[in-house]
Amino acid sequence: MTVIINPEGVGDPLTGPATTTRATLRRNFWRGVWRVMRRKPSRMAGVAIVALFALMGVFGPLLYPGHLPRDDNALYAAPSLAHPFGTDFEGTDVLALVVTGARYVLLTGLATALITVALGTAIGLFAGFRRGRWDTALMRLTDMNLAIPGLPLLLVLSTVWKFTGPLEMGLVLGLLGWGGIARAVRSQTLSLRERGFIEAARGLGLPTTHIIGRELLPGMAPYIAMNMLIAVTGAVYAQVGLFFLGVLPFESNNWGVMLNLAVFNGGALTTPAALPYLLAPLLAILLLTLGIVLIVDAMDEIFNPRLREE
Amino acid sequence: MTQAVRSRPRSALAVARRVAGHLMRGVVMIWVVATISFVIIREIPGDPVLGQYESLIQKGMSPEQAERATAVLYGFLPTGSLWHQYLGYLGSLAHLDLGRSLSTPGVEVTTLIGSAARWTVLPVLAGTLLSFLLGVTMGVYAAIKRSGRLGDLLALSGSLLHGIPVYVIGLLLTAIFATLWPVMPSGGPVDVDFVPGLNAGYVGSLIHHAVLPVVTYTLASYGGWILAMKSNVVAVLGDDFILAAELRGLRRGIVFRYLARNAILPLFTILALSIGMLFGGSIFIEQIFNYPGLGLLLVNSISSRDYALMGGTFLVITIGIVVANIAADLLYTVIDPRVRSGGAT
Amino acid sequence: MTPPPEVRIKDLTVVYRTPAGELPAVSRVDLTLSPGTITGVVGESGSGKSTLALSLLNAVQPPGRIAGGSVEIDGLGDVLRLGGESLRRTRGSRIGYVFQAAQNSLNPLKTIGGQLLDLGRSHEVDDLRGLVREAKDLLARMGMDGARVLDSYQHELSGGMRQRVGIMLALVLNAKVVVLDEPTTALDMITQATILRIVREIHEERGLTTLVITHDVGAVAEVADTLAVMYGGRVVEHGPVTDVLGSPEHPYTQGLIRAIPRLTGDISLARALPGRPPTLGTLPVGGCVFRERCERRMEVCETVEPARTDHDGRSVACHAAPLTPAKHKEFV
Repeated sequence: MTVIINPEGVGDPLTGPATTTRATLRRNFWRGVWRVMRRKPSRMAGVAIVALFALMGVFGPLLYPGHLPRDDNALYAAPSLAHPFGTDFEGTDVLALVVTGARYVLLTGLATALITVALGTAIGLFAGFRRGRWDTALMRLTDMNLAIPGLPLLLVLSTVWKFTGPLEMGLVLGLLGWGGIARAVRSQTLSLRERGFIEAARGLGLPTTHIIGRELLPGMAPYIAMNMLIAVTGAVYAQVGLFFLGVLPFESNNWGVMLNLAVFNGGALTTPAALPYLLAPLLAILLLTLGIVLIVDAMDEIFNPRLREE
Repeated sequence: MTQAVRSRPRSALAVARRVAGHLMRGVVMIWVVATISFVIIREIPGDPVLGQYESLIQKGMSPEQAERATAVLYGFLPTGSLWHQYLGYLGSLAHLDLGRSLSTPGVEVTTLIGSAARWTVLPVLAGTLLSFLLGVTMGVYAAIKRSGRLGDLLALSGSLLHGIPVYVIGLLLTAIFATLWPVMPSGGPVDVDFVPGLNAGYVGSLIHHAVLPVVTYTLASYGGWILAMKSNVVAVLGDDFILAAELRGLRRGIVFRYLARNAILPLFTILALSIGMLFGGSIFIEQIFNYPGLGLLLVNSISSRDYALMGGTFLVITIGIVVANIAADLLYTVIDPRVRSGGAT
Repeated sequence: MTPPPEVRIKDLTVVYRTPAGELPAVSRVDLTLSPGTITGVVGESGSGKSTLALSLLNAVQPPGRIAGGSVEIDGLGDVLRLGGESLRRTRGSRIGYVFQAAQNSLNPLKTIGGQLLDLGRSHEVDDLRGLVREAKDLLARMGMDGARVLDSYQHELSGGMRQRVGIMLALVLNAKVVVLDEPTTALDMITQATILRIVREIHEERGLTTLVITHDVGAVAEVADTLAVMYGGRVVEHGPVTDVLGSPEHPYTQGLIRAIPRLTGDISLARALPGRPPTLGTLPVGGCVFRERCERRMEVCETVEPARTDHDGRSVACHAAPLTPAKHKEFV
């Protein structure tokens, strides 16, 4: 038996009259973002890194001629001012190779992330929303997707399907990787359901698309965005790895191709000569991963206030 | 007025039901994977099975002989309807017959897989165990000291390592410790100079050659453990029963154990996932370190067009992951009383 | 039976660290729990009552900290001066704490019996069997099958049963001071009544000094001897429960009572208190903490914090109190 009933009335003295317009909320949000970023400058570095790679992917190949120049006099040259990472077996500048090779990798990563998130969210939402038989069926499907070993399957698939181009690669990787997101989205949907959001909206007579679009998704959007970024790292992992193994045809230059050539042609693991050729793409992958991890870390703290240190 | 405690169904039954459920799902998984293998083998351009049959006939075998020879190789007849072939394939699987290898002529696939399995399973298990122990300990630390710089750094290192591809770690380690600064051998499971057996030289060399691969596996998965343990510990720290235990004056050691056991428990569900990831990663690691395990077997079988071997290896890898899943879940069931009573987790 | 101890809280201040600086959740509170009495503390959320309760065990959690004052208990000294092992040994065995009913105060992975044994071992109880017997007795008193409960895990028990287990664990080591934080919130009305009755009975049987924190005025009226009313981190009124509820002197208490709808009569007579309870950040600084919502606000309330005035065994902190006897009739 509670005693106090609180009527409308006095505004909160700290923030003034009760104007909670969308604009104010948005402004406060970005202010909060800035605060989080400022507190750990490493996160801004993360944004910078990812931005750098994005630029590399978009503009990189434009900086260099269509066919990178070979220099027969400088095969596997040591790092120098002209060639910060040395040259490869044809005398081509390694740095140029890394920059031009970024586009393929990033494009595939993006394609994979989009498909993973689209599929995963759709399935997870549907399962969480409908429940019952649909839910059970879809969850069995998800379990299977999660349990089948992806990499071995990719290898086996590569015997019949030569993935040409980043979009095809992205499609295959996306089809293999939606399981995690589906499960997470479904559990979020279920917990929102339990809190009565959906029933309340239904009771008000709101159409299903509205419920999903305006009630459910906005809450899950940050989480989905984070998963998208993580999916990019997974995609980079898979495709560079496959190229490294030599399982996919080398049609254009990319980081995986560089790794493969460095190790198996250049013997980078036995002699130091081709080491820069090996290390450059490795460093690129490391840096990209670092950038994405920092951003996801920042996003986590922004959207998950419980984690904010006191 | 005595209130009834909710009755606890016989725990053995609940456990058995769970295991049965897992077994069923495992069998379905294996069947799906087998079907995928079968479909792919049939779809390979150039129809190698038929080609094998025809080349045998060209070599002078009679059609029946050639048929049987091919069937021994692949597990199903080269002729006949798709459905018949499929059933034949499933039939040989049921007899634990995975066919014969082309690249190592005449040898049964099961034999090859048998000898390769230990080179994958042992490093993967060692890596998982090490990364689990390391990651869990650091995760607790990172959670308790999460407002300090060290805790922050630990968590960040975990996220970072978690995202880096396992072969990047392997290549980097090799580049540093085998090429630039040769303290570790760059390849092979063991030095060929040593005679196999339980002698010090052989065992020592085995361990020496295993260091880099195991360290690679450890580094690749420990990030996941740190992150998971940290978030669990933080969650449990926020749980009231820890404060309650302190307010009841329980000894610090006991409170810590309350915390640790509750935080570790959910991790067991990830254990199987982690082993699965490492199995996948073994494809790269064994390539880099030239370890004759299942991963290398799979890759080589593809490049040498030994499709029976490929299908068999793929299947065994999947079985391994399924078994790991079941084992991890059994472990979880034993530890969590809420599951044993049939309650929801 | 040892005599029940007196608890003297003097000048207690507890602050919380926020982005806006250190803000007080409890401000210079003086409160004495007479030996053998049940004292109820009522207030809205944010009044500081739970913080007060935790202070009795020196258990304020970061980002809060005790900034000043003392909590003296007969036979223990100043609890706030205790630390480390001596504090740990006091908690549970000399002072018992019962958690809010809604909280999960039990380890989900251990049986109740297992946790009981942990408790015994932590407090160096030699006769563990005797401890178990004592626990079973307590549980039986509260209407439960002791053996079965001790054998159960917490998820196998209902909310009311868990609350009773919490009470048992607080009493089993024969503490003489017991603090109950919202013992009946989130329980159904029948269980509430049962729990309150059990608390009252055991308190009398063992001669304890008990503190009950709640926001439920009805509950406290049933069980407490003395009542303290908290607002904004201060005790605004204190006295025997019939006096405080029957003829409240502080405007806040009056507002609380007035807001309770009566079972009979005109329901529109119940009037809510205007405004909202203050949070840490919205506490008025300087002057009386209640002035924004007070109908008897005067100029002096803006600048001078009202001092406590004692009379007839009760106290109140208000510039406008005590009322003239005529006004009391309003609240009968």
